[in-house]
Amino acid sequence: MFELLVLLIKVGFVLNMALVLGSLCTWLERKGSALIQDRVGANRAGAFVQSDRWYVKPALPLIRMMGWLGVINTLLCDSVKGLWKEDFIPEGTSKFLHAVAPIIAVLPIMLAFAVLPLAPDFNLFGYYIHPRVAPIDAGLLFVLAMGSVAVYGVAIAGWTGNNKFSLLGSLRAAAQMISYELPMGVVFVALIVVYGTLDVYSIVEKQGELLWGIVPKWGVIVQPVGFVVLLLAGMAETKRGPFDLPEAESELAAGYFTEYSGMKFLLFWLGEFCEIALFALLLSLLFFGGWQIPWVKLPEGVWWAALIGHIVLMSKVVFFCILQIVIRWTLPRFRYDQLMNLGWKMLLPVSLLNLAVTAIVKVLA
Amino acid sequence: MNSVLTYVALSMALFVIGAIGVCLRRNAIVVFMCIEMMLNAVNLAFVAFSKLHGNLDGQIAVFFVMVIAAAESAIGLAIILSVFRSVASVETTDAGELKW
Amino acid sequence: MSFIGFVIGVVAIVSGVCVVGLRNPLYSAFALVTNLLAMAGLYAALDAHFLAVSQVVVYAGAIMVLVLFVLMLLNLKSESGRKLGFIRSAVALVIGCVVLLSALPPVFARFAGMSEVTVSDNARDSEGTVKAIGQELYTKYVAQFELSSLVLLIGVVGAVMLSKRRSVTLQPRAGGLVGGSK
Repeated sequence: MFELLVLLIKVGFVLNMALVLGSLCTWLERKGSALIQDRVGANRAGAFVQSDRWYVKPALPLIRMMGWLGVINTLLCDSVKGLWKEDFIPEGTSKFLHAVAPIIAVLPIMLAFAVLPLAPDFNLFGYYIHPRVAPIDAGLLFVLAMGSVAVYGVAIAGWTGNNKFSLLGSLRAAAQMISYELPMGVVFVALIVVYGTLDVYSIVEKQGELLWGIVPKWGVIVQPVGFVVLLLAGMAETKRGPFDLPEAESELAAGYFTEYSGMKFLLFWLGEFCEIALFALLLSLLFFGGWQIPWVKLPEGVWWAALIGHIVLMSKVVFFCILQIVIRWTLPRFRYDQLMNLGWKMLLPVSLLNLAVTAIVKVLA
Repeated sequence: MNSVLTYVALSMALFVIGAIGVCLRRNAIVVFMCIEMMLNAVNLAFVAFSKLHGNLDGQIAVFFVMVIAAAESAIGLAIILSVFRSVASVETTDAGELKW
Repeated sequence: MSFIGFVIGVVAIVSGVCVVGLRNPLYSAFALVTNLLAMAGLYAALDAHFLAVSQVVVYAGAIMVLVLFVLMLLNLKSESGRKLGFIRSAVALVIGCVVLLSALPPVFARFAGMSEVTVSDNARDSEGTVKAIGQELYTKYVAQFELSSLVLLIGVVGAVMLSKRRSVTLQPRAGGLVGGSK
């Protein structure tokens, strides 16, 4: 009974974290893109709010500052607008599939958060808590499986649009996603060769060891090529960054999103940003030591060490989210054949070579 | 009755459903999908018997069946596409004449 | 059999019937995806964890996406032409049920008296963790493993060759046969 309660609390916490990170990324995107493009961005909603009620007055400066920063605009106004918009279902296709496609696109992303640990183990009032929702043995493989299932949401969404724009956009998106899963999987295999386990918690713990006594055995140091390949493949998986041809706003009339409005569109949108957060979490767990500060060894099992570790992990995650947003707004997008060339002819051979070199080094050393 | 045997009965039921599908459907791609379902039913029987006997041989067999099914699906769909190019239909009753 | 295993089994059978019964081949494909995911759940219930995840990655994530691509690009309608006929469908169903019901009793009779789940002494031996499957695969079955990689290579080459637009036609030229247009 107690385990069930702990599990529910963990599920609530992880879901909350995923959604908050996704929403934070939408705000970062809006304001960050404005800063990059040398403009101001949204700063009107809530910036001039006045009130006479005594219980609101102390919070007014905070509300006005959040409004000036664009937070109220992105997080409150966009959500309300999405909820109140007309839900348009195109004729001639299955209503059920049209409604279920955003769910299939978003659900695997949320599920993939379940196998990733968020803090080291700790003891709380004598109870031993392992901060991971599902301690599956094949954790890394589960993340890859969820990435494979997320392709269906995109394919179904484009098909139920019942027009050529949507279908073309969705098939291109699906082909892109399955093409970039290959370098991703090979990089995961190279990581497994280096660390000897598929369990993400063990991989993070093994990154605390020192390599040659000087440098912590972080993923980015033992697998630099793997880090670059995973960064690129991850951005292509999420259809972000310079790989966002499927949602090319200027070319395909919003691609496979075309027939979606209101909350379903917001669900796709939020799923995409949660996927950004997922890849940021993966990169920081696998390549940057997770919750560990380099050369600092905190005592194990203590609750405040877990809290510090969690804060360190979240700061790394936010850094990678910002990195992905900055890359998106800096680089022009790839053409489709350039994108496929990059995936099949450059990233896949590079990752396979990386795997071969890693295996040879592991056997010889 | 042993609880693992319900899995074997389930796998037999799925196999028979797949076999009925192969006999009844005319669309070549649906026939292909029913064959995949039969392969999956056999996989389930392998895994159930592996648990019954307490070793991993059944699961290794499933691994190899998955590999072969993946290769077979790629080639099978390529063949269906080639037939579609010459006959303009994927129904098995339409590809009844030899090539002229 | 646990309750969740029973529910997943029911989902597997219902989606299997939908694969055979639905007219639109695209809906059959979605039903098959549901069936494959249910099978992955059943493998996980039988302690074959690596197989469950690789079923999702290989079958549901790659093979069915390929089938979906083919279906969406060919833009097929439902099966046209005369329907199969009530008598043929009924005969097929009856034969199927007879086959199923006659194949079950021998299997049940073989394992009749057993109440515990496995025959062997150690139930942990059949835990399909990645480490255990890796041990078996690379020591006992290493030859089959290498041969299966060769089969995959043949599959890749064959699929690319079969789906090219036109085969190279050999035409007689001065100097022997020369490959023609692509």
